[in-house]
Amino acid sequence: MNSSPDLPIPISYIAGNYFVFSVDAATFLRREHHICGVLAGTLPQVPQQNVFTGLPLELMPEEARLLVEKGVGCIVDEVNFQKQGMKSLMEEDRKKYLKELESQGLESKQLQIRRKERLREEYLKKKNEKAAAKAKKAEEKQDTSAAPSGEDSVFLFDDRQPSTSPSHVSSRRSSVLGASDAMGITPAISHPLLPQQPPAEHHLPLPEVPSSYPLFAHLHSKGYFLSPGLRFGCQYMAYPGDPLRFHSHFLAVAAEWDEQLDLMTIISGGRLGTGVKKGFLIGGADKSRDDSGVAGSNVRAFSIEWAGM
Amino acid sequence: MADLDEDAINNSTTGGAHADIDLSDETQDFRMLNNLSFLDTANLSLPKRGEKDFEPNPTVFQADILSASRQAMHNALAYPRLHHPKNLLIGVYAPNGPAPPAISKSLDTVAEEAPAEKAAEKAAPVSIGAQVPADACVYVTKAKGPFFKSLGQADRWSRVWLLPEEALYLLERGTLDIRWPRCAVGDGDEDDIEDSGLPMSLQAAYACLMGRGGLTMERYSVFTGLRRLGYAVLRAPGWSESDEEKVSQAAAQSVARQGPGLAGIFSRFMGWLCDGAPTTAVGPVAGLGFHHSYDRIYRKLSLIPFYDPVTSASPSPQPRLPYAVVWHVYKPSTSFRKSAPPDPDFKIAVINARTTTIPTVSQIWTLLESTPLNPPRPNSQLYVRLKNGYRNVILAVVDQGVVSYLKIADAAFGKEKLYAQRPSGGNKNRGPPRHKFKKR
Repeated sequence: MNSSPDLPIPISYIAGNYFVFSVDAATFLRREHHICGVLAGTLPQVPQQNVFTGLPLELMPEEARLLVEKGVGCIVDEVNFQKQGMKSLMEEDRKKYLKELESQGLESKQLQIRRKERLREEYLKKKNEKAAAKAKKAEEKQDTSAAPSGEDSVFLFDDRQPSTSPSHVSSRRSSVLGASDAMGITPAISHPLLPQQPPAEHHLPLPEVPSSYPLFAHLHSKGYFLSPGLRFGCQYMAYPGDPLRFHSHFLAVAAEWDEQLDLMTIISGGRLGTGVKKGFLIGGADKSRDDSGVAGSNVRAFSIEWAGM
Repeated sequence: MADLDEDAINNSTTGGAHADIDLSDETQDFRMLNNLSFLDTANLSLPKRGEKDFEPNPTVFQADILSASRQAMHNALAYPRLHHPKNLLIGVYAPNGPAPPAISKSLDTVAEEAPAEKAAEKAAPVSIGAQVPADACVYVTKAKGPFFKSLGQADRWSRVWLLPEEALYLLERGTLDIRWPRCAVGDGDEDDIEDSGLPMSLQAAYACLMGRGGLTMERYSVFTGLRRLGYAVLRAPGWSESDEEKVSQAAAQSVARQGPGLAGIFSRFMGWLCDGAPTTAVGPVAGLGFHHSYDRIYRKLSLIPFYDPVTSASPSPQPRLPYAVVWHVYKPSTSFRKSAPPDPDFKIAVINARTTTIPTVSQIWTLLESTPLNPPRPNSQLYVRLKNGYRNVILAVVDQGVVSYLKIADAAFGKEKLYAQRPSGGNKNRGPPRHKFKKR
């Protein structure tokens, strides 16, 4: 998990959205760069729920832009890259890739068999113990009647026989496994079939971002984790730490420096924030001040809270 | 959503504070996932809302928990998509849309079909089955499993064609293995869509399928979110602007069905009999004469005309995207046939929060008018009736992958005569429940 992928991390641009498909890249961005994104996919192990979702990781344009500006990521035109990459594949590369997948499939099949056998062993062991305890009890209780305990012992014997030989069985079965027994694998990323770093011809320029980007960059530079906030009635939710472990502190809304604000905006924002135990945060970039080339350095932000007078 | 609302109302009196919380609202601690027992389906229940800390502090304890959470998340995300060889489901990507199989061309010529028919087939090569939509781009030769009850359409060669969102969803959940066609990997000619044996990665599938035939990430997020919860989701006629004719057809049908009807005419006649001519210019508003019941007085007092959703049958302009219904949603329980889908339980319009502004009244109006009349059940509770409205539609507002659902209903407050309601025997618990606001 603590591995760091090669930089820059390719961010796939598909149909107007920015995605990260690699697990390592997703956890790396979260850990080192406080970029969480939104997990947009289905988890194959628990597909019928919405609480935990899986890859791909969908990034806001702001997040993608920030990563590119930091030199951590680069935007890749994934559609063209896939199309041309697949067309120019060599026959040997394809065969090698398929072989690799097959060996991975065999490995996971063996893993599964082993796990099944271990479970079986554990189950049988438990069952035997139970039966033994029962038999003991029965013997202790009624030493005169021999028939039931005899029956028990017969069962015991039957159960014990397979449990003594699973190691033998597993070794035999795994050696027999052929290509047809391999598990099919749907890989998450196209590497190693296609190169991990796409050639420069597929790179795209900086993502276009909304006017709230300076506030985003400012809050991010202060160590906040930001996520899209429409569900809570704001532009960004600002978390003091990783959203996995912390509740958010602020509902952030961006404004222009000279923008006239209705007092009602502030009041309703303040009420909204207080209602969910968060502060309402409003901020914008002062364009007259030099931002020295770093996005967000000329931003001031204010937080508004409802005073319980 | 009508039934969910009812459930929420019923539960709000009995359930505790947890009933209101939607776990998918916020990022949950992935360590909770470890507690789920996948093997034991009998007591499979979602975890309770995890405890989170207020703010970071430099303790090792907190750092340990955080790294454990991240590890759990990493493990969950790294879980591979495996297919047992016995129930491996293989689909093949067809970049140019539905096409007949290569073998069948030669088979057809061998078969005893009339030459005229052959010529016709050559003239229209896409005639592979009436039900297969032109946007379909993945076919499955040996379709099996429960998913094909509500996904895909079979063609004449019993291949099941999947729309991009259906194929991507099945791949994502680890059910389907999509293969590159021979034409995409440089083998064969441009129309060769035979299986090349190379599996498509999740990344490649997104690159190939997203954006095809009007499938945006916003629409897809709504589709998968609802499919994951068990709903059947189909494309609605308003999917793309070019489908407008279909919309107008559907609208014409619904207009024909919703005329005032005999009962309506009768009740209007009765109303005219009872009320008499309004003589408010002189004398008291309630009118002179004998008043035997309060109902009569109240009826006299209702001077201001109210809007009746049933009678407005004026043809309205076509709804325009994005304020048009794009998904038809069916509850899991409905006996569903994909060849002849019933009336949808919910109609959903998908809106990208970043590019769309708040709708105008006329936009909402045309959107509501495009849905068929769906009057509330007369024996349901007052608030349920008001919430259901006479037409309703759900807006799914998607902000960078986060979906919020809003229900818009055409409520008829004027039709709910409060004075005509008899008090229900003084039992306060049985009255309409007070609305509870969500507090978080």
